[in-house]
Amino acid sequence: MTTQAVPPTTGPTPSTDAARSTPPRRVEGGVMSKPRGVVVTVIIALLALAWLFPLLWALINSFREYEYTQVNGYLSFGGWTTSNYEEAWSRGNFGLHMRNSLLITIPAVLLTLWLSSMVAFVLARFSYRFNLTLLGVFLAANLLPPQALLIPVFRMFREIPLPLFMSDSGSMLNSFWALILVNTAFQMGFCTFVLSNYMKTLPHEIYESAELDGASVWRQYWQLTMPLVRPALAALATLQVTWVYNEFFWATVLIQQGNKLPVTSALNNLRGQFFTDTNLVAAGSIIVALPVLVVFFALQKQFVSGLTLGSTKG
Amino acid sequence: MSLSRSSAIPRSALTTMAASRRSVLRGMALSGLAVGGANLLAACGGESGPATGSGATVKFGINEAEGVGAAYDRLKAIADAYAKESGTEVALNAVDHNTFQESINTYLQGTPDDVFTWFAGFRMSQFAENGLITDLSDQWPIDGLGDSFKQAATASDGKQYFVPISYYPWAVFYRKSVFEKNGWAPPETNDDFMALMDDMQGKGVTPFAFGDKDGWPAMGTFDILNMRLNGFDFHMSLMAGDEQWDGDEVKLVFDTWRQLLPYHQEDPLGRTWQEAATAMGKGECGMYLLGTFVVDALGENGEDLDFFTFPELDSSIGSDALDAPIDGFCVSSAGQNVEAGKAMAKWLGSAAAADAGNNAADAPFIAANENASTSTYSDLQKKSAEVVGAAANIAQFMDRDTNADFANTVMIPSIQDFLKNPDDIDGITASIQEQAASIFG
Repeated sequence: MTTQAVPPTTGPTPSTDAARSTPPRRVEGGVMSKPRGVVVTVIIALLALAWLFPLLWALINSFREYEYTQVNGYLSFGGWTTSNYEEAWSRGNFGLHMRNSLLITIPAVLLTLWLSSMVAFVLARFSYRFNLTLLGVFLAANLLPPQALLIPVFRMFREIPLPLFMSDSGSMLNSFWALILVNTAFQMGFCTFVLSNYMKTLPHEIYESAELDGASVWRQYWQLTMPLVRPALAALATLQVTWVYNEFFWATVLIQQGNKLPVTSALNNLRGQFFTDTNLVAAGSIIVALPVLVVFFALQKQFVSGLTLGSTKG
Repeated sequence: MSLSRSSAIPRSALTTMAASRRSVLRGMALSGLAVGGANLLAACGGESGPATGSGATVKFGINEAEGVGAAYDRLKAIADAYAKESGTEVALNAVDHNTFQESINTYLQGTPDDVFTWFAGFRMSQFAENGLITDLSDQWPIDGLGDSFKQAATASDGKQYFVPISYYPWAVFYRKSVFEKNGWAPPETNDDFMALMDDMQGKGVTPFAFGDKDGWPAMGTFDILNMRLNGFDFHMSLMAGDEQWDGDEVKLVFDTWRQLLPYHQEDPLGRTWQEAATAMGKGECGMYLLGTFVVDALGENGEDLDFFTFPELDSSIGSDALDAPIDGFCVSSAGQNVEAGKAMAKWLGSAAAADAGNNAADAPFIAANENASTSTYSDLQKKSAEVVGAAANIAQFMDRDTNADFANTVMIPSIQDFLKNPDDIDGITASIQEQAASIFG
């Protein structure tokens, strides 16, 4: 269905289509002389290695015993073990914290996409006088560093009471609701911007005909626009899952109950008061990074297209 | 055109509708999931109700995460013992040490637990001044806790806000076997000390292991030099911001330190304390000035370790002061059950609490309560208790004795600057004084 509906989208944007098929571009990007190709490959490989090195280093050392590396130094070879992973899993109590992360990430991402798609729809489809201003406000909020809002948000949440069945602390603090809301609020600016740009590329004719058929605004949004922006939603969902899952700052500020911390903050459980087994922390970091890697590789296609979403405006 | 389109509409509309019925269903399933998730959230949020029946509930916040080992096991055992003895339900909130410490301000101003683990000294006193912790003077005196502990539990207003449970000393650690092999002995006087260090260097052993990558370990060196050269009282009022950091006294400390640096491992800024401890453990270095937690980094029980207090540098001042940070508990002002918290805090200072903790973990702490059993203590612990008991004055370590902002944002970089460039003492002390003036006002 989506593929069927997509062809019309190229209708109002012939410029990009033409650019793609113009001959000079293709020559420029496609052919490279052999020696130059080799040099480029070597440079790229070296750069990739430089970026990968810390990660691989952590991966390797996560399989080594602390006692061995401490006595022989990290440049040695040996002391292999998998016990770091077992210990990291049980000591970090990752089962519980992964569940917490899940309970925060999924509602936050769904809520973000839902709300921002509605805002984006209105911004893209209806022209009010303050349309641009509104989009500007959403973007401006995106530029605001969360640290600057720490104290106001903290105080506000402290004053908002929640019934005990929603939060055993009796307020927004120490509840998942707080994190879901904060994450949603902070991610909405970006999602709205991307989605509204994407929605603007949808041909006006579809909406005209829908209007003729008597489709209400809600129906134009839910049954017409949402299926068409599904690629954008998928890409955004991938990005958002990664970002919300990796979120560390708000979790440490708003949650003070050990058993409610998401997994990124729970990584600290592997540090002692004075002593830190760095190999154990490496193993823990790998465990925590795994879900993100899985999401990334499973949805790689959306991820890459997501990076350029909205960068070309129709 | 319009004709062809109008004829096309029904078909496309039909397909759209068919497809969107699916997506609507999917959308509903998703929103159902969201609602389900919300229910789940609610379910795991609200399991503990308010106090009912015989015992009230006390919320107990501890700065050790579940599963970290002895430190958590001890606190858990203490909480369990109290629950059993008093019939009060104790709800444990375990957060890892560093997170707990870093978020203590938001914790106390948010929804804190009734009783929580904390430290004696300026850090406790600051909270008392801000009204974040509860006055515990009606719970004092506590049987078995001497005057020095009561002093450490007292804030600037003269009231007690803290109940101590344990402490550990900072001293000069060494390997017994290494000292024996070389015929070395713990120095008694400054001359012995210098002779010992020269002898070590002659034998190719670096006298002092030293690492300050973490920032705080070198504070221990500053503390002990200041206490040996200028005395305990000066040290404490310097920490409180009442003395000049660019005065002759502090310059003397840095100057003495500069002369001692050749006896320390080189390039300390690139070395963590754990690496320095390993160097001492391997015998590359003869001694290490650190807390008793040095055994953690060696991966052994410390049988081959011994220590002595830093020798005197000025005979008119002596060597009867040392750093021995005290850990214990405070009761938060914003807790839900302050009275129950106070009762628990008092019990936490008792010998029974210390014993419950020590019996539960294979690495017992040194109990603050003098009636606590010492039967599970290792030699190191017995000696620690002895040394601290003999000390006339006990400091809490720089980052506990002074304003936390000052310690972390001024002293850590300043000491690191000094270690990088030991000859610029005037510049460094002037810069510390300038910043101290703005922080302490």
